Amino acid sequence: MEEGPAVSLQAVGKVYPGVEMSLRGTKLETLGPVLWARNAIRAARLTIEHAPPVTALVDVNLSVARGEVLGVLGPNGSGKTTLIKIVAGLLRPSTGDGMVAGYPLTASDAIRRRVSYVSTTGWMGLEWALSARDNLRFFAELSGMSPALARRRTDEVLRALDLEEDAFKLTSELSNGMRQRLIMARALLWRTPLVLLDEPFVGLDPGHRQALSDYIRRELPALGQTVVISDHQAEVVESVADRVLILEGGHVRALGTVADIMRSLAGLIVLEVVTELSDTPTLLPPPLVHRVERRLRPGPLGLVHWRLTVEQGPSTFSAVLAWLSSAGGRIVEVEERRPGLQDVMADSTVLAAEGA
Amino acid sequence: MTTPAPRRAVRALWRQTAAFGAFTLREYRIWQSYRVNQIMWLTNIFVTTLLFFLMGRMLTASDAHLMGAAYGTNYMSFVVVGIAVNTFLFTNLADPYTRIQRSYFNGTMDLFLLSPMSIYMPLVGLMTKSLLDDYPRLFIVGAFGMLLFGAQFRFQFSLAALGITVLLLAAAFGIGAISASSFYLLNIKRGTEPVRFIVQQLLATLLAGTYYPITVLPRPLQWVACFIPHTYAFDALRRLLDPGAHMAVPVLPVQRILPWSPLTVDAVALGLMTAILLPLGFFLYGRGIEKARREGTLTRWQ
Repeated sequence: MEEGPAVSLQAVGKVYPGVEMSLRGTKLETLGPVLWARNAIRAARLTIEHAPPVTALVDVNLSVARGEVLGVLGPNGSGKTTLIKIVAGLLRPSTGDGMVAGYPLTASDAIRRRVSYVSTTGWMGLEWALSARDNLRFFAELSGMSPALARRRTDEVLRALDLEEDAFKLTSELSNGMRQRLIMARALLWRTPLVLLDEPFVGLDPGHRQALSDYIRRELPALGQTVVISDHQAEVVESVADRVLILEGGHVRALGTVADIMRSLAGLIVLEVVTELSDTPTLLPPPLVHRVERRLRPGPLGLVHWRLTVEQGPSTFSAVLAWLSSAGGRIVEVEERRPGLQDVMADSTVLAAEGA
Repeated sequence: MTTPAPRRAVRALWRQTAAFGAFTLREYRIWQSYRVNQIMWLTNIFVTTLLFFLMGRMLTASDAHLMGAAYGTNYMSFVVVGIAVNTFLFTNLADPYTRIQRSYFNGTMDLFLLSPMSIYMPLVGLMTKSLLDDYPRLFIVGAFGMLLFGAQFRFQFSLAALGITVLLLAAAFGIGAISASSFYLLNIKRGTEPVRFIVQQLLATLLAGTYYPITVLPRPLQWVACFIPHTYAFDALRRLLDPGAHMAVPVLPVQRILPWSPLTVDAVALGLMTAILLPLGFFLYGRGIEKARREGTLTRWQ
């Protein structure tokens, strides 16, 4: 029996090497022989040009206790999948070190035997000419289960994921939501110590989403399984996780229980402001503004949606509205609300007000 | 309390065997789930054999000497062995790369790599379809050749011939594994894979003696032919199966310089190639997986 936390990472970082440069998508692509000549010259010189490397994860320190459900939140491109792949042994970190299920990150084979992984696109790998049940049995038997055990486990997970009635349908006959549940069922076959779920709720209707949330929350920890679940929707993660890790641009922005993170937001409010289209104000935002997001609102009117995380105070409203008006756009709508987990993470379009 | 080592080894062996069995069953179920698959499969074998029967009719008796003393004078017997073994070889050499490539792009490889099994299992397991396809094909081509097109075979050395096919399969799979490793190691995800192209489409097609004996080639090319397993397999199987063939007459340059019988040379060469190519193939495939892990190219969709 392995001791210690299910996952522990120290200063883990990942830099992807740049992909091979290509003329695809450029004007030169239409000149076929130019590409041929380029290929021939490169083949003769044995040279390849690469795009700049991409930093996906920076200095991540993390410890996940056995039986814990950790939620990983972050916008697209924040490093969630990279982190999960490193934990799953599918990706080597560029820097740092760690242990997963009692094994160092370098012991990929040992780790893979103790990890189940579900992703949004996992169903693409199912064999469509086989039934849901046959697909599951295949994966059960792959891991060396006896036919009797494979049959029993297959039936158990089909029941748990409400797929019993559809067990004999071909995968091609299932809806997207059913396929997503099937791929979830596949991950539950093995009862591995660690279950990694990368956006597992995509395509599920509200009823099945709730049922799956409850299952993850109740059943998996009861079986002694540790769960790491990622999503970009805060309410999804909030409903199942004991603790939440928030990533932004590959950096850890917050780590703690939902209550801890919410406490760090005490004294802050979020202002949702809609203005007419204008330039970004040239003046710096007032110091009570912690965070600014600016997005063009789709539609013919040319409106801008601002989301500002600001300190609560008597002059907050007037200072923020004066700042927004300084660029000339008329204010159309203002709404105030309490901040949630969603406001801690933001995508790369954010104008970081802090230190601006 | 820890499990004793022998028990662990037995358990590991059982797991691998069960996984291999699961692959076989799955591939068979998929194959038989498409209605026209079986008819197309038989038609393909028949047409290929017929094609060479028609070509063989163009060879007049006066051309028979071109086949050399070692392989008798029946071109259909000669070419049926060529066709059967070439298809057998082609799939075992080309399929590892093709199947890894297909699994990668349709997402199945992601699921394999996310399942608790050895990284080599998909490489071996996906090949079960080739075995299911090729061994029956070997016999069906032979049967078509004999029953319809005048090929003649003897069967007293059937076991030795089967042994040669096993060695050949292992050696060809070694090259296939090297070829598959280029998918990750050289990052060749699309287009023509160079190892397979050089060995199968250049060397084997031109030099191994599928459709003609290698004695019609210039001497230096005959020596080049000695570096691929195909050459030895064709030579050995024709000697063993063709009633007009002679066991003692050397054909390959290497058979002329070694003191052993031509069949012994064939078997030793195939064994040696298997011993080198098979571990090399697995080693390179493992290196390729490790490289892909570092670069983040191991899975396509996850």
